[in-house]
Amino acid sequence: MEENKDNIDPMPETPPKKHNRFVQYFINLGARIKGWFVDKYTAIKDFFVGLFKKKPQEELVPEGPQLSRGEKFRRGLKSQSGWLFVAPALILMAIFTFYPIIAAFINSFKQGYSGMTGRFDGWGFDNFVRVLKGDTGTGGADFVQCLVNTLVLTFISVPLSTLLALLISVALNSIKKVQKAYQTVLFLPYLTNALAMGAVFATFFKIIGTANNTETVGIVNIVLGWFGISPVDWVGLTSPHWQIGSLSIPWAKYIVAIIYEVWSGLPFKILILFSAMQSINKQYYDAAKVDGASRWTILWHITAPMIMPQISYLLVTGIMGGMKQYSAIVGLFGVTMGQDYDMGTMVGYLYNYIELGQTGYAFAGSLMLFIIIMIITWINNKVTKKRTTYR
Amino acid sequence: MPNIFKKKNASEAVVGKWDLSAGDEGFDSEKAQKQEKIKHIVKEVFVYVFLTLCAVLAFLPFYWMIISSLKTEMEFRESVPTFFPHTFQWKNYWMIFHQVTTTTGTSASFGQILVNTLVVGLLSTLLGLVVIIITAYALARMEFKGKNLLFAIMLATMMIPGELFTVSNYITVAKLHMNNSYTVLILPFLVSVYYIYLLRNNFMQIPNSLYQAAKVDGLSDMGYLIKVMIPLTAPTLISITLLRFIGTWNSYIWPRLVNTQSWQMITNWVTGGFVDRVQPDGFSLYGGDYGTTSLDTLKMAAVCMVSLPLLVLFIFCRKYIMRGVSKSGTKG
Repeated sequence: MEENKDNIDPMPETPPKKHNRFVQYFINLGARIKGWFVDKYTAIKDFFVGLFKKKPQEELVPEGPQLSRGEKFRRGLKSQSGWLFVAPALILMAIFTFYPIIAAFINSFKQGYSGMTGRFDGWGFDNFVRVLKGDTGTGGADFVQCLVNTLVLTFISVPLSTLLALLISVALNSIKKVQKAYQTVLFLPYLTNALAMGAVFATFFKIIGTANNTETVGIVNIVLGWFGISPVDWVGLTSPHWQIGSLSIPWAKYIVAIIYEVWSGLPFKILILFSAMQSINKQYYDAAKVDGASRWTILWHITAPMIMPQISYLLVTGIMGGMKQYSAIVGLFGVTMGQDYDMGTMVGYLYNYIELGQTGYAFAGSLMLFIIIMIITWINNKVTKKRTTYR
Repeated sequence: MPNIFKKKNASEAVVGKWDLSAGDEGFDSEKAQKQEKIKHIVKEVFVYVFLTLCAVLAFLPFYWMIISSLKTEMEFRESVPTFFPHTFQWKNYWMIFHQVTTTTGTSASFGQILVNTLVVGLLSTLLGLVVIIITAYALARMEFKGKNLLFAIMLATMMIPGELFTVSNYITVAKLHMNNSYTVLILPFLVSVYYIYLLRNNFMQIPNSLYQAAKVDGLSDMGYLIKVMIPLTAPTLISITLLRFIGTWNSYIWPRLVNTQSWQMITNWVTGGFVDRVQPDGFSLYGGDYGTTSLDTLKMAAVCMVSLPLLVLFIFCRKYIMRGVSKSGTKG
């Protein structure tokens, strides 16, 4: 083996100088350090050069990390240009939506607050207490009265009109001839001016005085007269009412308001329920008929569960709308909402106190309206979640 | 006997009809069919009577409104009401047009009120449409930081009843000295979160490939919005336009709070009293017999002026109005 090795390397001219082991070690170390430095140096040099040298065009990738700062900023700005589009809406909402929410929460706790001058006496629950007690000292509407009115009207008229709408939709769904004509007429009250039609309804119930020796007691009283019922003053000053403490229950006016609200609420409810019934798959009905189900059974066990989501939707939106009713009451009973605000609603309460210049009470009232609506929304959500599992 | 027929199901009836061996059965089923038919007819009649009654009741207020507006006050006050006027008194309408003084003491003629309503309605609809379109476009098609948060906040405000804003807004516009102007009627209601939401969803449904195709054809973003997106969502835009205009037509509370009578809207005008006013040339309907009493016939004429345009609009644009309303559950 040794000979062979010598043969391969025939000319071992100037063999590397044999150093001391320690010296050799240091020489190697030096070479390694130099190599390391050279590597690093070129890397660092490349880095700095790259930083200041303009890159060739083809290396510019759109969202690469090596964009110039200006370019990056420009691109960033451009990608945020959506803000420019939403800016008008945002500014308007800031002034007329976001600020009022905050202001309502803050200002309702200012005692004796005057909106115009911004003066107030101190912080506390004074406004709320006075509003609830009816101790506002301005002769305006009474909050408890308004709350009771709103709740009574809403929770009677909404279920009633939903039930009636259900009956009409079932009837409408069962006929084949002139369905379209009935539909059109029934939908007519759909789009009306609540205030104007309220005024029309008031004439149905109105007893008019004896000018020129003529008088009318109104259509409703005439019809009731056929059944031997003596005329009732439905909307006037002598309208009958029950008194419970300071609370007045003007039942005659309630009836008028409920009739009007049922009439004006029906078309929308019929539209929703009828179109829901039309979209039920006909196979269910055929299957039920084959199994010998009666009409009532079909209605109760097929139609009703299938349109349950729509019914609960109508109840929710109806109650929400009912809590905010106002225009219809003005149309029926005039700007003062009956006699001494005995037909006032919660929204009517707010406007009453704005017009009286008592913005502190108006703020407190609006906050309470908000809380009541939130509670009802919460209850609605709880109930409808259970109900809508039919689908 | 009827109980048996009730229980009989369809398949059995078919068997009975074709099974000739069962002689009695065949006779019975024939009778049953006859009885069923009568029952069916009775039910049908009942349903039609019920629906007719409902339709009459639905239409009655409109009919009453129109005929009352054409009656004389004497006829209107007759103890037995007439369902068709003896004499048509078209002068009722003439009187309400020339009425400048109402019981509230401030003055506003019908012409002034109509101009107010039309100007505010048109401006608020058009400007509102622009704001709604660009906002919906940004929320549907553009990417920017905080977009989803912004949209969520906007939707959250829909939960809050608008009445909560009214008190603060009333103070705000008074401090900005905007009372008694058209601006105050237009500005606070330009942004409608619900319509933005509706239109955004419509925009989102347009496939992205259309956008790329438009880009290849060299269309700018704005050009794409105007030439592609708006025509494609035209039905929704028409619904929004109609509902906004109707909303302005019906607005009552806000104009009453912030403006005096001559700057108010048509619905405010209806709430005023309408008296048989002696005109400058000495003309009056009843020679001043009724004094300053507000007359119902004149009021019904005013109500007609407010309600009939809505009714006509509804009849001609039913499809678009219903599409908008049935989604939101609100009018305007």
